[in-house]
Amino acid sequence: MVLDPAHGGTDQGAHGTEGITESDELLQFAAATKKALEAQGFQVIQTREANDNPSFDDRSARANAQRGAVFITLHIASTGLAGTARVYVQPDASAPANITGLIPWDQAQLPFLSLSRKLGDQVQQELARRFKGSPETVQTAPVRQLRTTAAPAIAVEVSSVSVQNRAELENMVPGVADAIARGVAAFRPSYVLPSASVPGGSVQP
Amino acid sequence: MSVQWRVWLGGVLLAAVIAAALYFPALRRQVNKAKDLTEKTAEQARRELLPVAPPTTGEPKVKVKMLWGSRGEQAGLNPVIIELPLSNDPALRAKQILNTLLAGPVDAELRTLPPDAALLAFYILPDGTGVADFSDELRTSTPSGIQSEQLAVESIVRTLEANVPQVLRLKILIHGQEVDTLAGHVDLTQSFSVSAKDATGIKLEYPSPPPSILPAPLEKAVEKVRGVTRR
Repeated sequence: MVLDPAHGGTDQGAHGTEGITESDELLQFAAATKKALEAQGFQVIQTREANDNPSFDDRSARANAQRGAVFITLHIASTGLAGTARVYVQPDASAPANITGLIPWDQAQLPFLSLSRKLGDQVQQELARRFKGSPETVQTAPVRQLRTTAAPAIAVEVSSVSVQNRAELENMVPGVADAIARGVAAFRPSYVLPSASVPGGSVQP
Repeated sequence: MSVQWRVWLGGVLLAAVIAAALYFPALRRQVNKAKDLTEKTAEQARRELLPVAPPTTGEPKVKVKMLWGSRGEQAGLNPVIIELPLSNDPALRAKQILNTLLAGPVDAELRTLPPDAALLAFYILPDGTGVADFSDELRTSTPSGIQSEQLAVESIVRTLEANVPQVLRLKILIHGQEVDTLAGHVDLTQSFSVSAKDATGIKLEYPSPPPSILPAPLEKAVEKVRGVTRR
C-alpha cells in the first residue's frame, strides 16, 4: 500500500477557517489510515511523513517501483458538504487500448482503470456508510496524481477545510481510516495484475 | 529688522506652510495615479493588445445552454437557457459563450469560475481542437480541491459542447502556457473530449503511445521473457 498525503512544503493545498491547512491535516489522516491498514495485514509506505513536497512523479514512482501495489492519494477539499467524503478515479480515456510492452509514463494508469474503479467502489461504499451525504458510487475526475501511477489508484477527498470548527474535520479521521482499510481488504481478492504490467518495472519514464 | 517686517515675514512663511499642507497630498495622489498607470503587469498589457471583440448588437439572438452550478448538497451543474447575440464564426462564438460563462449567472453563488478570471484568447485548430487561454486568476482563484476544480473544467467543457459543435476537444492554457494542474488537482496537461454523445463526466484524450525505443529483435526477446514470467 502506498499512501499519499497530498501537497506539503510550500504547497499547503486548501486553506480554511481557524488556520486549517490541507497539507497539515492530511498527515493525521494518513497516520490513522496507515495504522488501520496495517491492522488488516497490509504493508504500508507513505510518500511523505513530514512537511515536504515530493513531485507528482516522485509520488507515483513510490507505487510504480512496487509490484502489486495499491495507491491512495488523500485530499481535503475547499468546498462540499462538511462531513462527507468522495472517492475519485481517472475517467475512461479515448486512448489507444492496445498498449503492449513498456507503459508510457504519461499513460501509466490506463491498464489499471478497471481495477481502480473496483477499488474505488469498495472504498466509497464504506465511506457512504459512515458519512451521511457522501455519494454511493465512485466519481471520475482527471486527477493529475493518478495519471502517472501504474497501480490500482484512487483519490479520497474529504470535505472540507471550511468547517467552522477544526474538531469537525478531525472527528472524521478514524472513520475515513477504517473505511479505507475495509475497502482495500474487500478489494484484495479481485486484484489480478493486468497483462500490460511488465514485471520488474512496468513504466517507461 | 523692524517689528512690522518681522510680522510680514512671519505671515508669508505661515501662508507658505498652509499652501504646502494643502498641495502635497494632492501631489501625492497625482504621483500614485501616474504610477498605477505605468505599472502594468504583463498580463494587463497583453489584455490590451488583444483585439477587441466586435460588437454583437447586429447579430441575431439565439438560445444558448449555459452550464452553471446547481443548488443542493451534491455539487453539480445545472443547464440554464439564455438568449445571446452570437456570431456565426465558431471561434468567436466560443469566445462570446465563455465570456458569458465567466460573467456568471444572476445568482453569484452558482458561479463555477472565479469572477476575476478572464479569457485571453480562443482559437480552433484544423483538427477541431479548441484552445482556451485564460488569465492566471483561473488558476489562483479557483478553490483548491478535486470537486471544485472538476466543476470549473466541466462547466467550460459542457457549455462548449452544448453550443459550439465545431470544437471536438478542448485544451486549456493559462496565460499562454500549459500547466500541470488547475489549482493543484485537476490535470490540464491533457485535452478534454468535447462531444455531445458523451454527456457524462469528463473524458481525457491521450496521444498515441510512442513507438518502442528497443530495436525489433530486442523487443521480441522482451516479449518472450515477459510471456515466460507471466506463466
